[in-house]
Amino acid sequence: MPDRNVVPWLQNVERRRLLQTAGFASLAGLLPRVARAADAPTLVTSIRSLSNPYHAIWKEGADAFAKSAGLENVTLVSEGNSEKSIADIRAMIAKTNGNMVLNCDPNDTPDARPVAEICSKAGVYLVTQWNKPTDLHPWDFNPYYVSHIEFNGVRSGREIAEMLFKAMGGSGGFVALGGMISTTAAIERRRGLDLALKANSNVKMLDFQTANWKSQEAYDITSGWLTRFGDKIKGIWAANDDMGVGALEALRGEGLAGKVPIVGVDGIKAAVDGVRTGEFVCTITSDPYWQGGMGLAIPLAAKRGVFDPAKEPHLHREFYAQVTEITKANVAEYIKTQVQAHPVLNYKDLWGRVVGPIVYS
Amino acid sequence: MTRPTAQVSAAGRGAAAPEGVWPWLRRRAADWAPAVVLLGICVALAVLNPAFMEPRNLVRVANSAAIPLILAIGATFIIAMGSIDLSVEGVMSLGTMIVAMLAANDANANDFGWWAPLLAVLAASALGAVNGVVHVGLRIPSFMATLGIWFVGRGIANTALGGSAVRVMDPSIRDLALHRMFGMPFAVWIAIACFLCALGVERLTRFGRYVFAIGGGEDIAELSGIAVRRVRVMAFTLAGFFYGIAAVLAAAQLGQSNAVIADGRLFMTVTAVVVGGTALTGGEGGVLNTLIGVLIVGVLANGMVLLGVSPYVHQAVQGLMIIGAVALSTRRSRLQFVK
Repeated sequence: MPDRNVVPWLQNVERRRLLQTAGFASLAGLLPRVARAADAPTLVTSIRSLSNPYHAIWKEGADAFAKSAGLENVTLVSEGNSEKSIADIRAMIAKTNGNMVLNCDPNDTPDARPVAEICSKAGVYLVTQWNKPTDLHPWDFNPYYVSHIEFNGVRSGREIAEMLFKAMGGSGGFVALGGMISTTAAIERRRGLDLALKANSNVKMLDFQTANWKSQEAYDITSGWLTRFGDKIKGIWAANDDMGVGALEALRGEGLAGKVPIVGVDGIKAAVDGVRTGEFVCTITSDPYWQGGMGLAIPLAAKRGVFDPAKEPHLHREFYAQVTEITKANVAEYIKTQVQAHPVLNYKDLWGRVVGPIVYS
Repeated sequence: MTRPTAQVSAAGRGAAAPEGVWPWLRRRAADWAPAVVLLGICVALAVLNPAFMEPRNLVRVANSAAIPLILAIGATFIIAMGSIDLSVEGVMSLGTMIVAMLAANDANANDFGWWAPLLAVLAASALGAVNGVVHVGLRIPSFMATLGIWFVGRGIANTALGGSAVRVMDPSIRDLALHRMFGMPFAVWIAIACFLCALGVERLTRFGRYVFAIGGGEDIAELSGIAVRRVRVMAFTLAGFFYGIAAVLAAAQLGQSNAVIADGRLFMTVTAVVVGGTALTGGEGGVLNTLIGVLIVGVLANGMVLLGVSPYVHQAVQGLMIIGAVALSTRRSRLQFVK
């Protein structure tokens, strides 16, 4: 990552502008700090890794927003190491002298607190996504901790379950593949599935197994299910697309691909293509492209005084954002506008995807 | 046909007075323990859920066991030598990446057909050879050398894939796993072929005996004139070759390559080898043991699903079974130290 090694505010300044600024600064004499404050802020993205498609698209979204704003985006990758992520953020603050905004997907839930404290102290506007302790709230760090964004896992789990039941004709048995037992997303999506089950008494869950988010494990489990339940399986619910794809390939090996409906979450390419060919019923995406771009647009707007975070309602400070459901009906459009090309987002519409307050359980 | 350890016992038997049936049985019991465990699990499952014995299910078990078997066969030679190979996942990621990127795929315009799997196996063998050369040449313990290569292989794969999942679109490569011959997926036939090859290498070649001789006592092997360093490099290359074949099958089976496709394979591989009765200390066991070990692990996983064991209990049961199988097949009387 070459961009991490340069001094961003220097990199960003054209030579002529640097000379102008230098001239102005020397004329103004004693106001170097003011001159610097007028410089373009650096956009900083802190994510877990670039080796999964989700965060790779996140970075693309961040870079696209940076380009549209005429600023530079620096992406810090923690590689799953909380200490490294916090140290990198500290280093960036030192480099930019606090003239930056941060969009952070904290590596682990407790990380959000030190990040909020450091940023608040340095005057850096911050947005966090996915992970934060339940007793940490953006309004405790006015005005710098602008917002925290999450996606409602219960709702996603429930929505795909309901789509699956519809595809099954409202009755019959299905099997479910859960994510890694201890993760929040796995627990929430399972709870959503249970809610949908309660509302649909004609549908029966034949078995629930965890495949740890992995296609290979899902493949083996699905093979076993085919023996145990055979054609009693009328549908497969998967807590993420990768497991759904594993189940699909197990079905394909038995000549059943496309005959048993599958649903998943994440919107990975194989699943989207499965929706197109009819092998998947639907998948849900949180739109990482939007997360990467809007997670920077919101704190930048706050920094530029477009709005005052302290005066915003709590719903804008801590919210579930809208997800996109990809089904047969919109898949062609989705592939055209989101996969083959990236959408042009309206970065001024800061709160357009707020769907509700975060519910803590 | 006999391996060094067996030869020693055969010699011992010749020298001593003819022993009774009972001591002989007791001494051989450890050898048969894994097979008995496998049989026991199968009988128990067949009683609890008759569907287990259905031919379709046995085919499914075989299909699930194909890739683990090929991986474990490769690792058997290393473990029998008294070394360990942690690079399974790295070599496999590299292999699947090469298949996915060179065969017809959805990320680039390449379409090299059968060259893709061929090059994948070659690259995996090469990485295996690097394992051996680093281990022998730099005198780094195999544990550390292969740990390094694990991350090298995975790093190369991640860089090339750029974080995305690349799908294999070449139907002839997909057929490697999906096509059926005499009712069995092709992957199973390939696994059987690999098994027979490995059995031949182990039983019929000098290399095969050297591997066990080194595992049994490297100093003695060296003093007997075995080119220990060369055998070690060859063994790691052979292991890489098998991982490469497994990688091709994984890409064919799941129709894609991504950064995490090989995750969890190392643990399953070593588990299968050890459960089969190949000692981590080296010199004992072999490819046949590994076949049984893979089947124990595979049948157990299938059984958990068939019996509807809660996923929360699943892992714990698996762990207990591993301890049980290893406990039964260890010759405790021979062990002086347990580290």
